[in-house]
Amino acid sequence: MEQKLRQEAKALLEQDKVDYIIGYEKGSLKFTTTPLITKDKNDVDRLVVNPLIVNNLSVFLTEIRGRIGIVAKGCDSRSIISLIQDNKVSREDVVIIGVPCSGIIDLCKVERLVGEERDELDDVTREGDKVAIVVDGRRREFPIEEVLFDNCLGCKFPTPQEYDVLLGEATSPVSEMTASRARIAELEGMSSQERWNFWKGEFNRCIRCYACRNVCPACFCERCFVEETEPQWVSPIPKWQDNLMFQVTRNIHVAGRCTDCGECERACPMNIPLRSMARKMYETVEELFHYEAGLDKAAPSLLTAYESVEAEDLIR
Amino acid sequence: MAGNKKINKRDIGKLLNEWNQGFTVFVPSREDKVTAFAKWDGVNISFMEWHRNTVIPPKTNFFPLMEEMFSFREEEDGYHTELPSSDKHKQLIFGIRPCDAKALSILDMAFKEGYEDPYYLSGRKDSLLVALGCTNPYDSCFCASLGGGPFDSTYVDIMLIDIGDELLIEEVTNAGRELIARTAGLEKVTEVDEARAKEVKKSSYNKVTRKINTEGIQKKLQACFEDKDFWEKVSAKCLSCGICTFLCPTCYCFDINDDSFKKQGARFRSWDSCAFPIYTRMPMENPRSEKWRRVRQRVCHKYEFFPTDFDVIACVGCGRCIRQCPVNWDITEILNNLPAKA
Repeated sequence: MEQKLRQEAKALLEQDKVDYIIGYEKGSLKFTTTPLITKDKNDVDRLVVNPLIVNNLSVFLTEIRGRIGIVAKGCDSRSIISLIQDNKVSREDVVIIGVPCSGIIDLCKVERLVGEERDELDDVTREGDKVAIVVDGRRREFPIEEVLFDNCLGCKFPTPQEYDVLLGEATSPVSEMTASRARIAELEGMSSQERWNFWKGEFNRCIRCYACRNVCPACFCERCFVEETEPQWVSPIPKWQDNLMFQVTRNIHVAGRCTDCGECERACPMNIPLRSMARKMYETVEELFHYEAGLDKAAPSLLTAYESVEAEDLIR
Repeated sequence: MAGNKKINKRDIGKLLNEWNQGFTVFVPSREDKVTAFAKWDGVNISFMEWHRNTVIPPKTNFFPLMEEMFSFREEEDGYHTELPSSDKHKQLIFGIRPCDAKALSILDMAFKEGYEDPYYLSGRKDSLLVALGCTNPYDSCFCASLGGGPFDSTYVDIMLIDIGDELLIEEVTNAGRELIARTAGLEKVTEVDEARAKEVKKSSYNKVTRKINTEGIQKKLQACFEDKDFWEKVSAKCLSCGICTFLCPTCYCFDINDDSFKKQGARFRSWDSCAFPIYTRMPMENPRSEKWRRVRQRVCHKYEFFPTDFDVIACVGCGRCIRQCPVNWDITEILNNLPAKA
């Protein structure tokens, strides 16, 4: 798959079909990959595809000017479609190199499972519906449900929904949604007071680094509402109330654009379970509007369209 | 060194209880979902099993994420201000890593020279740093390239060395010596212990495998300062979030905002980041509206400008910026690949 990717990428640059290639290369730490953004055809031999390609690279599309060849997993492709729907990206300007994705390995889960930090791991490999982890020469296998990112479990669209080239065969969902929303179900089971206290505790840790926003392809505003000063919607002082207000408002802004790629939660250095909130919004959108983000590039984006028959029970 | 003492690890709780009388003791904690230095709870010593740096650096003990500078209220005769209560306890930071201790010495310069910052200094002046050397550095660590090392005791009051079941105690400063002198229950070390400590230090130093070459780094950065192509290329994947700066133990930029309602409120300062496009927009404009200029600023501030002012590189090689970055942007790769002089 990597060989094909490198060939495709090289051809795109050589034939002047794109100005940039955006993909993944090996990262500088164990078991990490990092975005590779390049104009240079000599760099494409560094491109990789493996179960550790965490980033949703479509976040770079609104920033980099020019024609772009981009590597996209299922969720990433939907973010691209969503950006096309919002006129942030032109379909003609992107060449989508689709990667059928059978889920990405969550290294934090791996660390918890084996009780060691990633520095101590010798190897982590995906083998069918298992992930093999080797520590101190000792190999252990775990079912993927315990190792993949929550959002990958139950992902309905693992195959890119839009692509020019598909690397490999279309693939089917890796597991049921139940495992994917276990934490959300837990939150739903709380009383509203318990839930309030839970989020208060979580947002108490928020340092307002804005990684959740900056890593999010759906957060494409040139000026974010948190940076407005007249009026000031949210205080820049990172008190939990304002931190929560920021995240809730951000979730409303990305409703119908969020593809549940999970990047907000993965990027958060404070381990705030942001995807629980984002996923709940995703499901609310689905329930109210029968809409899922990034499936139809010709459709108007959710928040820009209104039909008189829709969602009578929206206000309740 | 003759006269060093040691303590059995299982007695650490007793030791901290004793020190907790004169100080507020902080320890590395994994309790609140993110590793940080937290007030010791008087019981838990599980941090002894974990010799690595915390996600949140101990700079927060003296320069917190947000801090009230003063409160104010408007009355008929005008505004009245009041300073926050100054009941700052003497802090003893137990288990600080040598890199983070060095980082505090760098913050001391920033907050002391030029102008004296009472908020930072009032907490810092009576603090005591009891370091625990790193026997198991992360692969993101590169302290050894910056004149430090996993057992660098230059900036600490007391250095602890893990020699197995016991910790060897090296007294470094007078404050450290005085504390040890009045601490009960410590044993004398043997020659075997000293030899073991030496061995531990050496093997730990060799475990720091990430390297940068700082020789002539200021000149190299000056030479490529205007190399827009280089900076654009290396900054391409940066997301302009605040993780690397906020979690950096030597970054000290802050923003000031009022939190007020009707006729009263308080003025706060909170961390700010040169990575943000809106940085310094309040007083004027951000002269670094393009991302490559912001990335360049972060690198150059640490490796070129700060050394010009204070004779020391404002990076201690703790590796948090590499480890926590959502795109694995790695400052060591940038520094090791600076373009040859144009």
